[in-house]
Amino acid sequence: MKKIKYYISALLLVAVAAMSLSSCGEEKLGPTIFPDVDETLDPTSYTYQLDTFLLENYLKKYNLTFLYKMPDISTNMNYNLVPATYENSIDLAVLCKYLWFDVYDKIAGKEFLKSYGPRIILLVGSPAYNPTSGTEIVGLAEGGIKVSLFKVNAMNMFINNPDMMNEYYFKTMHHEFAHILHQTKTYPNEFNTISIGHYDSNNWQDRSEGQVASLGFVTTYASSEFREDFAETIANYIVKTDAQWNRILDMASRGWTSGDEDDVTSEFFSYYYYKNNDVTNEPTYIYDRDVFTVTDEDGTVHKYWRNFTDPEGNRIVVYDVEDKDGIDGAEAILHKVQIARSWLKDAWNVDLDELRNEVQTRQADYDIANLRKMVTGGYNQ
Amino acid sequence: MKKFLNISLLSLVALSSLMLSSCKNEIDEIFDEDAIARLDNKKAEYIDILTDKGGKWQMEYYANADEPGYIYLMTFDKNGSVTISGENQWIGLLQGKNFGAIGYGSETSLWDVITDNGPVLSFNSFNKYFHLFADPEDIPSTDTEADDETGYGHEGDYEFDLMKYSNDTLYITGKKYGIDMIMTRVSPNVDDEVYMGEVIAMADSFFNAKIPQVYINLPNGVRWIVKDGATSILKVFREGADEISTSETYNVIITHDGLSFMNPVTLDGYTIKNFIRQPDGSLLCRDDNETTMTADPLSSIISNSRLTWRADLTNIGGVYAGFLPQIASELTAYNKSTLVYIQLAYVAAKSSFAVTFNVKKGATKINPTYYVTLEPQGDTQVKMTVGEGDQAGELYATKVPSMRAFADALAGTFNLSANSLLAPVNMKMEQGNNYIIWNIQ
Repeated sequence: MKKIKYYISALLLVAVAAMSLSSCGEEKLGPTIFPDVDETLDPTSYTYQLDTFLLENYLKKYNLTFLYKMPDISTNMNYNLVPATYENSIDLAVLCKYLWFDVYDKIAGKEFLKSYGPRIILLVGSPAYNPTSGTEIVGLAEGGIKVSLFKVNAMNMFINNPDMMNEYYFKTMHHEFAHILHQTKTYPNEFNTISIGHYDSNNWQDRSEGQVASLGFVTTYASSEFREDFAETIANYIVKTDAQWNRILDMASRGWTSGDEDDVTSEFFSYYYYKNNDVTNEPTYIYDRDVFTVTDEDGTVHKYWRNFTDPEGNRIVVYDVEDKDGIDGAEAILHKVQIARSWLKDAWNVDLDELRNEVQTRQADYDIANLRKMVTGGYNQ
Repeated sequence: MKKFLNISLLSLVALSSLMLSSCKNEIDEIFDEDAIARLDNKKAEYIDILTDKGGKWQMEYYANADEPGYIYLMTFDKNGSVTISGENQWIGLLQGKNFGAIGYGSETSLWDVITDNGPVLSFNSFNKYFHLFADPEDIPSTDTEADDETGYGHEGDYEFDLMKYSNDTLYITGKKYGIDMIMTRVSPNVDDEVYMGEVIAMADSFFNAKIPQVYINLPNGVRWIVKDGATSILKVFREGADEISTSETYNVIITHDGLSFMNPVTLDGYTIKNFIRQPDGSLLCRDDNETTMTADPLSSIISNSRLTWRADLTNIGGVYAGFLPQIASELTAYNKSTLVYIQLAYVAAKSSFAVTFNVKKGATKINPTYYVTLEPQGDTQVKMTVGEGDQAGELYATKVPSMRAFADALAGTFNLSANSLLAPVNMKMEQGNNYIIWNIQ
């Protein structure tokens, strides 16, 4: 009897739940989760050109709504944020298409982003500062659905600088999309084992890029935890030029030491010299930029301090900091890239290197004035 | 377990009745339309209100409870654009001016009435002259680490719950920080820059840092002293009370027609908030139509030993105007010097007021001075007597006789008037057709 009562109770609960769920709305689900804005676009609207562009190029193509008018309720109320400027919203809308959506269309096929891409892109004018930790969020992916891009109002200061554009927007988008993809199909656990024991979720922002490269991370943020490591590895591999990528590998191959081991925020250095070339002096650590190299005819490379000589006019010899962490940073990074490469190919049929080549080609010489004409008319493909 | 199941069943019955009845029945009994339709109607109604009659509004904007309020002019277009104009020190900073220097700016951005729990006026694209108060960047006026506002900024709102509309006035509340503000309709023919300039002129006519204090005059005859008016964060304390231990600070906004406290203020049982500028430059409380805000009488201000005045030599009348060319001619003849300014100020070393003629000869400045007395006669008259000169004064009395004659002509009783009773920084002293306008330094 007790059992019966229990089952009735359970069934009743199901029935009540079903009735309650069906009682409020009887709308049939349409092909898109967003309102049919096609019918609501007003030709007299101030934003008609951009809205039309977004309708044709995002909503209809990818079932994606591109939010450039920011309602505060769409963002975290814990941050102080401001909307994006209309002008920068146009620029980012066309650049996102040219440097991101069109790239995936070409490499992964036209259905790929429609199936797996984000459903909402939200532009935010300001950074999302966390005053307590001294950090700022440059991008945010929520549940594989929504990607928020911050600092849009600063964009016009570096619109023609691909490095900065990548740092704040497109690297962020690749990063966040990598999250969306691995939240859909998980990547091999092997990735998480490569740098296990070297992540620091609390103090990653205090690490230096050389220090973390030597540990096998492409950025300081990558060293915060393995999921961020995975997204950062993919994103940086795609957007970094060959020179930038090789610099990361070079830093990863060197030894690094802190000027003050008791201070977690102190800077890290890879080179040092002895005053007056006297090795009995305390070593003085110097930045990479203060080192210059001379290669002998026999190929031997000598490193010297750029700024001064000793009292006799001899160049000051520069020494490499010993790599004591026991990790081949470059090998670790390349190992991670290989796992990501295989996973993208096997799970998603996406060729990471083709993706990278296409991005590199496009970001090398985009013409923002022409791209804006996608919205205003007269775009020259 | 049995008891649990009984409770469970009862709960389910109760829950089901609640769920089944929650969606529609109750609404049908109270409202003609469902909530969404009512909200949509309200949204459309507010869009019509905002864009009606030319769509131009004055917003009395407060970023937070610790800063003055600022006026913005907003012209709403049905196409979704809004032109926002302002003139304040923060815009001045954006324009590269020194801290404290005001600047005027106007920019077009986007707006909408969105629906949340109710209709919300949202300025949903960035307008650099308006959203500066919501921007989380460090406030540029403060550069010490302790004053790093990164992540906070001014913490101002740009989304406002639309609370009420009445008599061309919109009552709004900042959505994030909850400050109540108002918007009032303005004629569409108003030129934004001219209007904002008039607001700034209004502010200048109320408070000047050189005028040490003004007064709130309550209907019961008690005066409350107001200091720091020029900052728009007023320090207020009862006359006769201790300033340090009893004063309170209140932030105000200077509007196109007067002054308003951010929140109502109660002094001696009288609650005041909004003041309207009167033709004489004083302020009258709109709430009780009795309380006023005035400064000391003009006769006290002109004879305040802490103030320094200079004659406006381009706007001087009667005999005084006649003396100027004579002085210039005699100075040239004597030592090829020129008159730079005439000053009225207190000379502490002599415990006396004095009229000083600043004369420039090459790089050398000479200050022939004649000591005077200033004696207030009622509120708007002052009696001046002229005495001996200092050494330079006596020398120039012989070499430039018109200078001494000018000083002597200052003897007598003068009527006083000013540009504003609250901030009389331009004081007219006249006797028949003879007048001098003294500008405060």
